[in-house]
Amino acid sequence: MSAHAQAPRNGGYLIDHLEEGAIALILGAMTVITFVNVVLRYLFNSSLIWGLELTLILFAWLVILGVSYAFKKTAHLGVDALINIAPPSSRRLLAIISALACLAYALLMLKGAWDYWAPYAALDRTSGHWFPTGFEKTRDQAWYETDQVPMLSMFKWLEPLINQGETYDKLPRVIPYFILPFGVALMVLRIAQATLRVIIGRQESLIVSHEAEDDVERVAAANQE
Amino acid sequence: MDVVLLFAMIVGLLLIGVPIAISLGLSSIIFLLTFSETSLASVAQSLYQAMAGHATLLAIPFFILASSFMSTGGVAKRIIRFAIACVGHLPGGLAIAGVFACMLFAALSGSSPATVVAIGSIVIAAMRQVGYSKDFAAGVICNAGTLGILIPPSIVMVVYASATDVSVGRMFLAGVIPGLLAGFMLMATILFIAIRKNLPKGEWKGWGEIWASFADAFWGLMLIVIIMVGLYGIPGIMPGIFTPTEAAAVAAVYAWLVANFIYRDMGPLDGGEVKIPLWQKPQALFTAMIHPATRATLFEAGKLTVTLMFIIANALILKHVLTDEQIPQQITEALLGAGLGKIMFLVIVNVILLIGGQFMEPSGLILIVAPLVFPIAIELGVDPIHLGIIMVVNMEIGMITPPVGLNLFVTSGVAGMPMMRVVKAALPFLAVLFVFLILITYVPILSTWLPTMAMGPEIITK
Repeated sequence: MSAHAQAPRNGGYLIDHLEEGAIALILGAMTVITFVNVVLRYLFNSSLIWGLELTLILFAWLVILGVSYAFKKTAHLGVDALINIAPPSSRRLLAIISALACLAYALLMLKGAWDYWAPYAALDRTSGHWFPTGFEKTRDQAWYETDQVPMLSMFKWLEPLINQGETYDKLPRVIPYFILPFGVALMVLRIAQATLRVIIGRQESLIVSHEAEDDVERVAAANQE
Repeated sequence: MDVVLLFAMIVGLLLIGVPIAISLGLSSIIFLLTFSETSLASVAQSLYQAMAGHATLLAIPFFILASSFMSTGGVAKRIIRFAIACVGHLPGGLAIAGVFACMLFAALSGSSPATVVAIGSIVIAAMRQVGYSKDFAAGVICNAGTLGILIPPSIVMVVYASATDVSVGRMFLAGVIPGLLAGFMLMATILFIAIRKNLPKGEWKGWGEIWASFADAFWGLMLIVIIMVGLYGIPGIMPGIFTPTEAAAVAAVYAWLVANFIYRDMGPLDGGEVKIPLWQKPQALFTAMIHPATRATLFEAGKLTVTLMFIIANALILKHVLTDEQIPQQITEALLGAGLGKIMFLVIVNVILLIGGQFMEPSGLILIVAPLVFPIAIELGVDPIHLGIIMVVNMEIGMITPPVGLNLFVTSGVAGMPMMRVVKAALPFLAVLFVFLILITYVPILSTWLPTMAMGPEIITK
């Protein structure tokens, strides 16, 4: 938290602002949609039929987008009992190994995310079981639509591009699933940055030991005043 | 054998400081790619569907948000005042009030560390001022804070319900009597210690103060009523009208309204000491929605959701591996074949969870252990709801058992004490919770009576 407050107002600050804003906005939208739907159902006996599906999509966006942010801010939970009693030299080595483990996870997941998303965007999957070894011809799934979410005219340009000019009645799945390659690519980037910070010694580990660490720091600071 | 390797890898990664979520996810991916035909694409799909395919888990971000709005301002302070007015005059009154306040706050929030931070940051200092030792104060709050996950609403219960397909509503109801019982056991212990050691008692301020403090805390406490009545209705008058997810979303919006417009502890009407009345600034109705304080709370709750859900999503990938490999069935057969009885089974569950609770975040642990022990429990005739409560109580105790209990860390931070002192301070009350665990484990009716009364007997499908 303290490092955050000292950060100069540069590009990094702007990006932070953007990501924090996105997290807040998505959670706010999820709450409002669900709440409005409850009100509509019990007071007016109608409902937004796409409410639940959209909320669930936003839920996935919130988490997959937020994971990279949490890596940037070192907010992921972990067990620090052992690394706390390890001597500083091996502690650094352990931190580097664990950073590389995270990187391996993110890279594997990136291949998976691309392979899952690509057919919905009329693109080809990568071949290979563990590592991408090239592209393989994949059956086009771009015509798959969400169950209820209405098509937005701002995505009309997708129709000639991937749907052979046919109109979409509902939002095509390529849009909600887009968060997978996008979010995971961002995760690869943030983990790579964190790994570098660990290697040059600017960061000690990739974890915090519990979810309330920020709050506790705040209280501890208040106690000292 | 392969599975032993899988778990060894998870524990190994955890211990060297890999985030919990990645430890679970990476081990599962490596296992899947090595031993099965599963593609990475389907792993990525599991990650996405962990959120988009689980409408039950959607209650988690909303409960986190409601509790964030409730913790921003003076709700904790008002609840503590009410608690002190009720029980502060007893011997050891402030400590008992601390437990009572933790119970009330637990009913507003679904997490234990949040309860310790909100109540502990005020009560521990107050107890020191009137002459309690710091150790006693920390020990009390550290233990009472664990009630956060037992008294509904509870994030851990939502996760259990989602892992085993039992009803969230039933789980919440099942937590009520055990939650009250644990609270009263802690209070009785404090009373006993207080009489023997002659601990300070506060003065009785009369029914007027109880009423005044209740009126002040009323809007915060109403949240409990909204959730409970929304979920279960009023017996004999109206049926329940919300699903747990809807109840959580309504609770979040209600908590925002209370924080912004009634208590005015945050948002456009918060003028510091003086609260601005709404009629002087009617535009606040709209500006509150985009006020920086609202945004900041949404962001904090969102961030917590992200870290918890990332663990849960990866635990779901692991669960996928376990069910694919039919591990639960194998374990069930092996254990039942060895002539395992109900009592032994429950003891084993207790031990596994107490050890696991040391290392893992409670929601993630429940997601992994529940599918493993659930089929055995059904075979042995253990009630699924009862099993859920046992697991939650075990998680509670795991949070305050050294070396790495979550609540111990939080309390040591909040009270400004070294870990080892908190561990020592928590020990006497930890003993009480152990007795409570044994009681809950072997007296199932404590957990099952209320949900059966309110929602009818449950149908168990094997």
